Formats: sequence, structure tokens, C-alpha cells
Amino acid sequence: MNALEIKNVSKSFSGFRLDNISLTLPSGCIMGLIGENGAGKSTTVKLILDMLHKDSGTITILGKDNGKDISLIKEDIGVVMDEVGMPECLTVKQVGRVMKHTFRNWNEAEYARLLQKLSLPDNKPFKDFSRGMKMKLGIAVAMSHGAKLLLLDEPTSGLDPVVRDEVVEMFYDFTRDENHSILISSHIVSDLERLCDYVAFLHKGKLLLCEEKDVLLSEYGIIHCTVEQLSALDKEIIKYRKETPYGAEVILPRKDAPEGFKLSPVSIEELFVFMVKEAR
Amino acid sequence: MKGLLLKDWYMTKKYFRYYLLVAIGFLFLSLVSKGNLFFIFYPCFLCGMIPVNLLGYDERSRFTEYVGTFPYTKTQIVSAKYLIGLFAQIAMLTVTGIAQGVKKSITHEFVLKEFLVLMMLLLIMAAITSSLTLPFIFKYGVEKGRMAYYVMTGFVCAGSIIFTKLLLGGNQVEIKLNAILPLVCLVCVGIYLLSWYLSIVFYKKREI
Repeated sequence: MNALEIKNVSKSFSGFRLDNISLTLPSGCIMGLIGENGAGKSTTVKLILDMLHKDSGTITILGKDNGKDISLIKEDIGVVMDEVGMPECLTVKQVGRVMKHTFRNWNEAEYARLLQKLSLPDNKPFKDFSRGMKMKLGIAVAMSHGAKLLLLDEPTSGLDPVVRDEVVEMFYDFTRDENHSILISSHIVSDLERLCDYVAFLHKGKLLLCEEKDVLLSEYGIIHCTVEQLSALDKEIIKYRKETPYGAEVILPRKDAPEGFKLSPVSIEELFVFMVKEAR
Repeated sequence: MKGLLLKDWYMTKKYFRYYLLVAIGFLFLSLVSKGNLFFIFYPCFLCGMIPVNLLGYDERSRFTEYVGTFPYTKTQIVSAKYLIGLFAQIAMLTVTGIAQGVKKSITHEFVLKEFLVLMMLLLIMAAITSSLTLPFIFKYGVEKGRMAYYVMTGFVCAGSIIFTKLLLGGNQVEIKLNAILPLVCLVCVGIYLLSWYLSIVFYKKREI
């Protein structure tokens, strides 16, 4: 079963349109949603949760249509938004009590374990938390009720590198269970590159690409050459190109790489930047 | 919905403690003043405004958005606010009723009919204030809906003056008031329920 299926979903606002998005996240996998600010990442997450009403298309979560009984489906979803909107006066303990009466499968012991692991204080009100601490609390809440799908919108923003590493490890552990899946959006492409099985590129509301990460990395390579060498290359094989005063960089299918050039592995970040620049 | 009510209870305890002091002060003034209904109405009005202010705090902390990630229906989200307001208003009506009843009994002025009139007036004020404010807030958000809050404050002040004058104005008016009040009470309860329903309808259409 797929954890998430988005088919031909569109949503229009004044000045922005999320245009005919389709993507599939198989169970047990992690998909990274990569895009610049305003690309439509948060809109996509909100549409999945039915917080925004889609104009067209269908969204299926864990085999169920999100238009029907979304509140029941949310029992199985853990969400971390780009900003954790916990009431400011609540302490971590009080949040735990509220969540105990919110989720049927709330696991107090797991919550306590995560609080300890993430070094969150028991009796400090939420308003006194740093941004990083707020995100950590959001992550602890999202992972303490037996969720099968995590929707994470910029979950590592505001975290220092050490904690970010720990959190990424937690997400990785989460998907050791083959019924667990994650859709994660982030600007920090290096985190996603390490974590994800699938990557999806969003740009100005359009899905540029949705592919298995390993397929992408094995399919494409990058060559560094001069502008003259670039103009001599067969244009048909060039997937993406970038010219600078110092030379040129070309991403192309590995199988089509011309002889005499050193083909380097392309990173997801490079691929994304090239694709977005090409799309502009 | 228990989780939402518990969260609102924690917030009420934290942010509205001073309401209790104001209510006690006004309760005291209502006991020592001679028939000024403003002192009796105002604490009930304050209690009716608790859900409005809770929504303000929710919006400021972005809980109005965050709650959309939890397994609550929009009906439950709206109903939690109505219930917390209802609990607060019932508690205040009870306390006010007991205080006024004891005062009148001590001064040997207790007349059941007059007491019931007072209770009905309180019920009307309490029901109307939150009924007319909350649907605007659930439709337009706290900032735009705040206009309704100011209108309601004016409504309470004006209502207090009018009812005080009517009740002190003579037996004839009082008798007429006695006859109409139960009907007005029923209408107000109807408006309250309609308001609850409309808030749910508005909130379901709203994107968060």
C-alpha cells in the first residue's frame, strides 16, 4: 500500500497556483520535498491535511481519501509544521496531558523518552522556548502517538547541527518499520539527500520532478568544461547547463557522456539548482 | 474534544485569573449598590468574552493553524470554545444568583418573581454577548471580529442602563417585563444555538 498518493491536485490563490501536482510515496519510504520559499511546499502539506480545500484532484492517505473522515486519518499522521503553534503558556507536561486526550494512541512513555532525548525542560512555558526547542517539542508530539506517516514541513530549521543530526537519525529510525513513511520538506538539501529514498522538486507551484534518489544519482552526472567545449557538445544530450565567466557546468545522462570529459557525480542540490534556474 | 477543553482550561487559568478578581469586585459592588444592574451584568459579560479572548491567544500563537494537524473535526474545535464560555457563564450566573439571593434574604427584600426576572435578564445578556460575537470571529478571524466585541461592550452598557431604569421605573413596567421576559429568554437561547451552528458552518468553510 502507498502511504500517500497525490493525483492531479491543483489549488489557486491570488498570485499563486499549485498546478496539477501528482506524487506517490510508497510505505516504508522517505520522500523529500525540495523547493524555494513560496514554491508550494507548505501548501502541499496543508492540502494533504485538508486544512486547505483543493480545487481539483484526489489525495489518498494510507489508502483513505482525505476528503472523508480526515480527523480519523490524522490519528495516524504526525505533523511538524514550519512553526509549532503550541499555546504559549503551556508547559511540556501540560502539552503531554492535552495530547493524551487528543490522540487515541498517545504513548506517555515514548513522549517522556523523547523529551529526555531532546533535552526539553518539564516546567518551562512554551513562550520561553527557543525556536529550536519549539521544533523539538513539535517533533516529540508528532512521534509519540504511533503515527504511520510523518508530514514534516521544515522540521530541522532552527536546530543546531548536532541536534539536527540527532533528529535526522530519529526520522531514519522511524522508517525502519516498513509501515512507516515520511514526507519531509526542507531547504537544507543535504539533510534530505542523506535521508530520502525519493525526491520531489517543486518550483513556483509546479512539480519539476519526482523520482527515486538513487535512480537520479546513478542516471545523471556533471561535467565541468569551457564555454567553447560546451558549444561543441551535442545539445540533445544536455539536460541542464550553467555558464559562468570561468567556464561551464553541464548535467547530462551518464550513458550519453562524451569521451574526454571527466564525469563527476551530481548531488541532489546541484540537480535542483540547475533545474530551477532552467525553469526560470 | 477533551484535549481542546483541557488546553482552554489551562489557558483560562493562566490568562484570565484577573477576571476572577474583577468579578469578585463587581459582585461586591452589586451587593452594596442600590439596583445598578451594570455591576451584576458585567462579570457575566466578561465570562462570555473568555472564548473570544482565547481565540485571540490561539491566533497569536498560531494554534488556530496547528490544531488543523490534530484529529479534531471543525465542529469539535468550534464547540470547545462555546462549551468553555458556557461553563464560565453558568458558573458566574450561579455565583451571582446565590449572592443576590442571600443579599435579598438578609435585607428581607427577597421576592421570587423579582429574583427570577433578574436571573432571566442575566441569561439574556450572557447569551446575546457571545452569540453575536463568535460567528463573526469564526468567519473573519479575531482582528476583524473584534469590532463585534466592541459593539457588544456598548450593548451591555446600554442594556444595563435601560434595564436599571425599567426596573426602578414602576410596577406597571415591571409587570409588562415579567410577561415578556420568558419569551425573550427562549429567543435568546435560540439565538445562542443558532450562533453555535453558524460558527460551525463558517469555520468549516474557512481554510486554516
